[in-house]
Amino acid sequence: MKIIEVNNLTKYYGKSRGIIDVSFDVEEGEVFGFIGPNGAGKSTTIRILLSLIYPTSGSAKIFGKDCIKYGPDIKKDIGYLPSEVFYYDNMKVIDLLKYSASFYKKDCSKRIKELSELMDLDLNKKIDDLSYGNRKKVGIVQGLLHEPKLLILDEPTSGLDPLMQQRFFNLLKEENKKGVTILFSSHILSEVQKLCDRVAIIKEGKIVSLEKISTLRENSYKKVYVEANAPLKSEYFNMDGVSDLQVKDRTVSFLFKGDINNITKKIAEISITDVTIEEPSLEEIFMHYYMRG
Amino acid sequence: MNVFLHELKSYRKSTIIWSISMAALIIFFLSMYPSFSSSVSLVKKILEGYPEPIRKAFGISIDDITKFLGFYSYVFSFVVLGGAIQSMNYGISTISKEIKLKTADFLMTKPISRNEILTSKLLASLTSIVITDIIYLVTAYITAESVTKELFNIKLFFMVSVTLFFVEVIFMSIGVLISAVVGKIKSMISLSLGVVFTFYIIGMFQATLNDKAMKYITPFKYFDTEYIIKNSSYDITFVIISILIVLISIFLSYVFFLKRDIHVV
Repeated sequence: MKIIEVNNLTKYYGKSRGIIDVSFDVEEGEVFGFIGPNGAGKSTTIRILLSLIYPTSGSAKIFGKDCIKYGPDIKKDIGYLPSEVFYYDNMKVIDLLKYSASFYKKDCSKRIKELSELMDLDLNKKIDDLSYGNRKKVGIVQGLLHEPKLLILDEPTSGLDPLMQQRFFNLLKEENKKGVTILFSSHILSEVQKLCDRVAIIKEGKIVSLEKISTLRENSYKKVYVEANAPLKSEYFNMDGVSDLQVKDRTVSFLFKGDINNITKKIAEISITDVTIEEPSLEEIFMHYYMRG
Repeated sequence: MNVFLHELKSYRKSTIIWSISMAALIIFFLSMYPSFSSSVSLVKKILEGYPEPIRKAFGISIDDITKFLGFYSYVFSFVVLGGAIQSMNYGISTISKEIKLKTADFLMTKPISRNEILTSKLLASLTSIVITDIIYLVTAYITAESVTKELFNIKLFFMVSVTLFFVEVIFMSIGVLISAVVGKIKSMISLSLGVVFTFYIIGMFQATLNDKAMKYITPFKYFDTEYIIKNSSYDITFVIISILIVLISIFLSYVFFLKRDIHVV
């Protein structure tokens, strides 16, 4: 069953572009990544799904129901974590969570306790006094306390320390095992790779690619930087899978796609002082992979 | 119901402060009445010393002010000004506060329709205003009874006093409309003070110039206390205008709010 169906969504803010002709589906039980640089239109799409803003054209369905017409109805089963978390300041954490729970017709007190213990959240503090990361935790508990069937997360990890990120990811995996569908928006590729089954990549308001993570990984580029002992011939690294090759005296940098062993062998044959092999940034992937056409 | 209660709670402090201030204001002014009424001729002489336009602008009528209801109406105009500010604040903050504090994302992703949100918020503002008015009215009545030795018309006293509520509802609905149209407002207090004082100053000009057409522009003149005391009734034209303003503003607020995009960034 399709949990989210997005059909040709277009949104203009006056004359400026929000998103153009965005379409994708999310299946039940899937963790779907939604990735792109800032301002690409991730939040716009999510805000339309939540009927916070209205599309210029196109439509979207959640649980098979139109997300504008049946907004209040479908939101019973949606948990949303915004990228920036702001809550009524003059409230204690527990009061806010209780207020949040009061919108759903079920008892959430046990769940509030579990989640806040897991996330190390002090329920008796005032929201005013919380740090950015702790506010984020309030957001997480708030988004999960009513046991939603669909989680919509808009850049959820910013502000969380690595330990909390780990706990949060484990929590998401657990929820997913229970059958919860997750839409996870982020601009950090590695984060999405850890969790998601499929990703949609959005750039300048358009979906440029929709792939399984496994294919993305096979196709993934490595950024290689080598510093040799002696000056190198420029054609030394000129081999299959190498692109954007730059040679400058003793230093070489390039992007590589393919079997990583070929490159390590090649590097082993020369005497070097330094080497780094890293994931290219999302920007570089856009430049050298998706925008090659 | 939960949104209503939450809103009511968030207005609690402000409701208490406004209630106390307006009650204190009326106690303070009315307690001057005994000394005022015991030296009528002196007071008249002092007032006659002021130029007529100024007396008119401040709504001072020499013949009326020496009677209790006349004196009360004069003082009451400041109470109405306060009430107008309070209700304009509530009106403007209805939608703008959620957008400014970025809590709209929280509230509007809950399983509740925009209609329900706006209705709950309007009812909460209205309740806060009614509470303030009741506290004011009781205080004013008790103070009036204790400072006057003469008999005054209690029915007229109440007829004048409840116009506070009418003016407040008008200003609240204008405020809601502004917030529904504009959305994010950076300094809500200055905007609401600006709007209220503009209408108030128009009212002062109207009184000075005695311009009939100008009366229609400012809600401060819709419930003319002089008219009420003289005729023991409200001016029906302005009652109808008031009802229309309120209904149209509220209706348009729903229309704009239902259609508006909620941006937080």
